Amino acid sequence: MLARIRRIVQILFFLFFLLLFLLARYPYSGRIPADLFLRFSPLMPLFDFIKHLHVSLLFWPALIILLITPFLGRVFCGWVCPLGTLLDISSKFLHPPDNLISKKWQKLRSAKFMFLTGLIILAVLSVHLWGYFDPLSIFNRVLTIVFYPLFTVITENTLLGLTTLPLIGNLSGGLYDGFKNIIMPEAQAHFQQLFWIILFIAAIIGMEKISRRFWCRYLCPAGALLGILSKFRLLERNVSNSCVLCNQCQAACKMNAIPFDDPFHTSKVECIQCFNCASTCPSKISAISYTWKWKPYQSKVDLNRRQFLQTGAASVLAVGLLNLPLPNKDKKERLLRPPGALAEDEFLDRCIRCEECVRICSTNGACLQPGSIHTDLRQLWVPEANMRTGYCEYNCNLCTQVCPTRAIQPLTLAEKQKTVIGIAVFNKNICIPYERNENCMVCEEHCPTEKKAIQFNIKQVKQADGSVKEVKYPYVIRELCIGCGICENKCPLPGESGIFVVRQAQEEEYEGYVS
Amino acid sequence: MIPASKWLFAQPVSATFPQAVVVKNGQPSQLLKAALHALGGMERFVKAGDVVVVKPNIGWDRPPELAANTNPLLVEAIVKACFKAGAKQVKVFDRTCNDPRRCYRNSKIAERARAAGADVMHVRRNRFTTLAINGQLIKEWPIYEDYLKADKVINVPIAKQHSLSTVTLGLKNLMGVMGGNRGNIHNHFARKLTEIDGRILPTLTIIDAYRILTANGPQGGSPDYVKIKRTLIASDCTVSADYLALPLFGYHLEQVEHIKVAAQKGLARYDLKKLKVKEINLA
Repeated sequence: MLARIRRIVQILFFLFFLLLFLLARYPYSGRIPADLFLRFSPLMPLFDFIKHLHVSLLFWPALIILLITPFLGRVFCGWVCPLGTLLDISSKFLHPPDNLISKKWQKLRSAKFMFLTGLIILAVLSVHLWGYFDPLSIFNRVLTIVFYPLFTVITENTLLGLTTLPLIGNLSGGLYDGFKNIIMPEAQAHFQQLFWIILFIAAIIGMEKISRRFWCRYLCPAGALLGILSKFRLLERNVSNSCVLCNQCQAACKMNAIPFDDPFHTSKVECIQCFNCASTCPSKISAISYTWKWKPYQSKVDLNRRQFLQTGAASVLAVGLLNLPLPNKDKKERLLRPPGALAEDEFLDRCIRCEECVRICSTNGACLQPGSIHTDLRQLWVPEANMRTGYCEYNCNLCTQVCPTRAIQPLTLAEKQKTVIGIAVFNKNICIPYERNENCMVCEEHCPTEKKAIQFNIKQVKQADGSVKEVKYPYVIRELCIGCGICENKCPLPGESGIFVVRQAQEEEYEGYVS
Repeated sequence: MIPASKWLFAQPVSATFPQAVVVKNGQPSQLLKAALHALGGMERFVKAGDVVVVKPNIGWDRPPELAANTNPLLVEAIVKACFKAGAKQVKVFDRTCNDPRRCYRNSKIAERARAAGADVMHVRRNRFTTLAINGQLIKEWPIYEDYLKADKVINVPIAKQHSLSTVTLGLKNLMGVMGGNRGNIHNHFARKLTEIDGRILPTLTIIDAYRILTANGPQGGSPDYVKIKRTLIASDCTVSADYLALPLFGYHLEQVEHIKVAAQKGLARYDLKKLKVKEINLA
């Protein structure tokens, strides 16, 4: 019974996440904040506290989770987390081995605590990498970059392909229009870093082949934090004397939290309150019940002093290594952040790489992209603007509205239109008027600023046949350019653009920037 | 039975209709009504059962006040007039420069055209047909299928200053049905544009000059660049309509190369120097 309720709640939370995902696009009202679910992540208040030494009410959903965990245990993991639900669904297809077989991995339990410890030490040393491994961030990242684009590309092209056939062509055309109007009004998304993000999720899902919820049992840092908090959990699993030691509950346990030599106890640190145990207990016996205990027993957190010290040492090494790469100037120069992004160092600390801004970007996977590594490992999957494939819509401020950690500060449209994210420069070697002495002006035509940031010098040029003609040579007025990149995007040259956006304007923020 | 209005005012066809109309000082719907009346009614262009494409400029993510897109009230009135003339279906679309969802919405054209009963559709990438152009510079170009298949086409540009083409009017507005990399049309613009335009001239061109954009075109961005002219120009000849819009900006034909080239190449249906224009002042 309880297990069935849990399953329904799991599905509802999963659908809620998907709904918020679909709502995160133009036109966006913001009545239900699209980043709400992301702020459920229990890691957020912890690392926000480490960074700022205050508790932010922005993360109220996570604070609620942290508050209920000592009473109810890891319900977040068992009932709420969409990554957990995804793994549960995957296990239906992947058929993970029985707990008796997979229990040999049990010594890995300490890995997640070492992992969490390492992330905390790194954060104290001012390197925030936890966002990569936050389960909600992972799920949103994968949904944005892999699952949703995969779904739309298959659906769109299937329907389009069928329109060319006789008989069903018209039906398919109608379905296609409906699909484009309701489900995918935006253009098909194409992302860089796709391969690595697929690999990342494929590993997490693939580990289901080793044991059920492998990620949650052994690796998830959020699970580790909640595990520590539920050490003394008040809601206890009781097993009455009618138990016949059939071990069915042990086999059904997603987390292998019931010791094989002692089914009367539970590892409260590991248990995610899925209630599978009670529902598999044979109905004639029904030995398992749940009750409040005001003097609960406590379970052990699998992390010894030695492991703790090892993790500490490894973390210091990691911080050192992260500081080693060459601060390559020209690579930094093409690295553009979304409008409203905090100063680079602060931005890398706060961004959790959830790709929510990438998701809501009006251009849908054309402008904002999960970033690649330019000069610093930490740049991986941090949103960056790619102006050749997309451009920042002048009248759009959506990416600034949905950042769960406010690494991108909310900007009004008027503020955003004044926010300089870069500056356009010409490559006169290939720009059509400069290279061929022919008029072009596409960049100027598209320039959206109130007074155009691209203007012309009109010059008389002598042609090969001796005749003279007038050509308009474009140039950028640096005070007016905000780096929206529509010029770079619309440049009619087939490959490299004759005008491109560089970061120049924010040069000074690199002073003292470790990388 | 023929309605009284028809036979009472029945006139011999083409003998008395002006070749173009310029209407001034009215609201968009009044301007349209007067223009159509002078041209012999929408029935002269749209027959019962026709599928009509109304092609406004929806190119930019700008509100109507900034005069970057066609006036939504004019589009609404034209759609209504088409249906009144017996059109079976009226389609409204444009290949936008900014994000199409933003342009359709913020221009208010989607809303007003839908209210009038039109099918407002986004341009779909699968609906371009390669049309043989066989010009000197352009051999073929993808054109939107719905445009080519329509029985009648009404081109509804807004009059704007444009850095490349000096002004953007009817001839330039047809770029909204062209696929491919339109940036490639921009060098040798006048020749390339007129080569393609020559193959896809519309039934009727109605230039929206209620508000015109005088600077920072084609997308403007400030009310300072907008002039209220409360004018409408209509003709079944695109070149003639464009030609008549030039005085709004103080230009001569010599200054606007693509219109000049269009006239030279014979895209004009009428002789621009002897154009029979009816001017109407509603004030």
